[in-house]
Amino acid sequence: MNIREQYDQPQRQAGIAILIILIKFLKVTIKSAWPLALSFFIGNQSDKIETFAGLLVIGISLLNLLGSVLSYFRYYIQLQDDAIIIDKGILKRSKTNIPFDRIQSINFNQNLVHQFFGVVSIEIDTAGASKSELTIDALNKEKAKQIRDYILSVKSKVDETKTNDQYDLLTENVRKETILQLSNSDLLKVGISQNHLKSMFILLGFALTIVDDINRNFNGMVEEELEGYSNFIFSNQWIAPLFFFLSVAIISFMYSLVSTLLRNYHLHLELQEKGLKLVKGLINQEEISINKNKVQIIGWSDNPIRRLFKMWTINLEQASSTDANQLKSKITIPGSYIKQVNRVISEVFPRNIKYPMIEYGVSKLLLYRLVWYGSLLPFLLSMLSYFWIGWHVLWFMAWPLFHIPYVYFYYKKRSFEVSEEILKNNKGVFGNHYEMVQLHKIQGVEIKQSWYQRRKEVANLELFTAAGSLRIPFIPLEQAISLEKYVLYRIETDTRAWM
Amino acid sequence: MTDFFENLNIDINSLPSSREESFQNLEKTYRKVSLIACCIFYIVVAIGIPLLFYFNDGLHSKTFYLWVALGSVLILWLIHSLFIIAAFKKKKYCIRQKDLVYSKGLIWSKRTTIPFNRIQHAEVKQGPIERIFKLHNLKVFTAGGNSSDLSIPGLTEDQATKIKEFILNQIETEEELENEH
Repeated sequence: MNIREQYDQPQRQAGIAILIILIKFLKVTIKSAWPLALSFFIGNQSDKIETFAGLLVIGISLLNLLGSVLSYFRYYIQLQDDAIIIDKGILKRSKTNIPFDRIQSINFNQNLVHQFFGVVSIEIDTAGASKSELTIDALNKEKAKQIRDYILSVKSKVDETKTNDQYDLLTENVRKETILQLSNSDLLKVGISQNHLKSMFILLGFALTIVDDINRNFNGMVEEELEGYSNFIFSNQWIAPLFFFLSVAIISFMYSLVSTLLRNYHLHLELQEKGLKLVKGLINQEEISINKNKVQIIGWSDNPIRRLFKMWTINLEQASSTDANQLKSKITIPGSYIKQVNRVISEVFPRNIKYPMIEYGVSKLLLYRLVWYGSLLPFLLSMLSYFWIGWHVLWFMAWPLFHIPYVYFYYKKRSFEVSEEILKNNKGVFGNHYEMVQLHKIQGVEIKQSWYQRRKEVANLELFTAAGSLRIPFIPLEQAISLEKYVLYRIETDTRAWM
Repeated sequence: MTDFFENLNIDINSLPSSREESFQNLEKTYRKVSLIACCIFYIVVAIGIPLLFYFNDGLHSKTFYLWVALGSVLILWLIHSLFIIAAFKKKKYCIRQKDLVYSKGLIWSKRTTIPFNRIQHAEVKQGPIERIFKLHNLKVFTAGGNSSDLSIPGLTEDQATKIKEFILNQIETEEELENEH
């Protein structure tokens, strides 16, 4: 029996979905109620308001629990010739009919429980509508694949009759080829070259909020506990802070290393009909399909450590309807060598190689402005403040020593390139960051000038796309106008769809 | 004009440019609308301040500060009004064969261009003060998000609906062409 006949009548999800819904429920409840629950059990019992609040929370949780179990029994999936129907809801019932041609991509997600029971959760991404996503908690892996293949095959049949672009048809014939597969040593390199400073900040922030949370609920318990440590720190002026700093550095290094390894374990990127497929993850296994028509911006970047390994991180930014989805529509592929980066670019943005690119720098005025507002002005102001704060001002005066080289590197690397097909932005300070857009995917152009820029006849150019905008700062006004004219000409004459 | 971008297949100087004289100013009455809206805002503030002084015990008897506050509101209002009058001349739009251009800004100027074939939809809106002066606001939405959506105020009903219909027509013919392809 084929999948279409199996789902001719409305069907429930796999039975294990109940467990998955329960785990989801527990996660949410614990996340939102743990401080209250703790203070309820440990805090002074005599407080009547607190007891009442605790009981209220438990009551609401129980109702929620009942609701989430029942929601399994009121969730039906049905397939039709040209649409998938989701019928759900207990009190507020809804029946959603999603035509196949509105579906942008179908992604699979597997956490540990999913993997253990051989089920997947499915995310169906639709275009245009405000509620652009739909999740099915658990379906048998085989069935899920069959449903996806069925939808995609119907969809491609419809699409074939619509498109006539010769070039696109040519590339369709290449299919199922692995572009990138992270070996274990490559994975380790990616983990080591992660931005550890970022995870240090996240970790510090997280630790501080938890300390704050506990502190508020236990009337300064942590503060007392830490009192001893702070005495220790202040009595050993140099050793203790150094020790503290080192331990935070080591923990955050380990944290970002392990989380990168888990997230990108067994990463592999393969060519697929109409785009790419990305599979990755150990505990939470993800399978993401990338529709190349939906990709608006391709970016690739490195950092000083990654450069040692000659590795790049690819960013594919897809068109998204709402700002909330912005995060999900940005796909990151770490650990690619330049050959693979070029391969991805030529797959997603075909035709880009045919045209020569010429690079243009930005005006030196940008450097002057940045130095003036970022370094010299603060420097002068801090000199003034000498009268109030005395010799401590020297600390502020050291700032330009860092800032001026920083903006100089920024200015040196800031440039852009154009061809008949592509606009490319080059930036970075210590690392390199490139981003590229096909000219016909641009939605609008804006020329901006401040009062100062008008006097100097330079301008900023902003190019809007459906996945964020590209900016080119401080170029000669005439050049900006020429580029504006050319981009508009390309948008208005290109017959290809932007998505 | 110097030649930039020599690698491109077309002489950019031959492409149409948006010349200053082809731009159109907004209806003069729109300046009144902005001034009235600005005036109403400052009147509300000017009523709020004495109330605050009256009901707040700490400020109750400090009449001097009340006059200082009201005076600065008056000055702010004057500056803001002058700014509106000066900035009004900078607000211009231009409908070209294949796109819509809107420029504005006294201190930070910007000029936004949206090609008709990237417009998702267009609507005509009217606020309460605009209704008195029979003015309309044309809003144009693209897939580029909030920052690239255009809003052209101060149009007569005739202008607004004409532009809107023109845009919608352009989108339709564009789509027909695409389907034929």
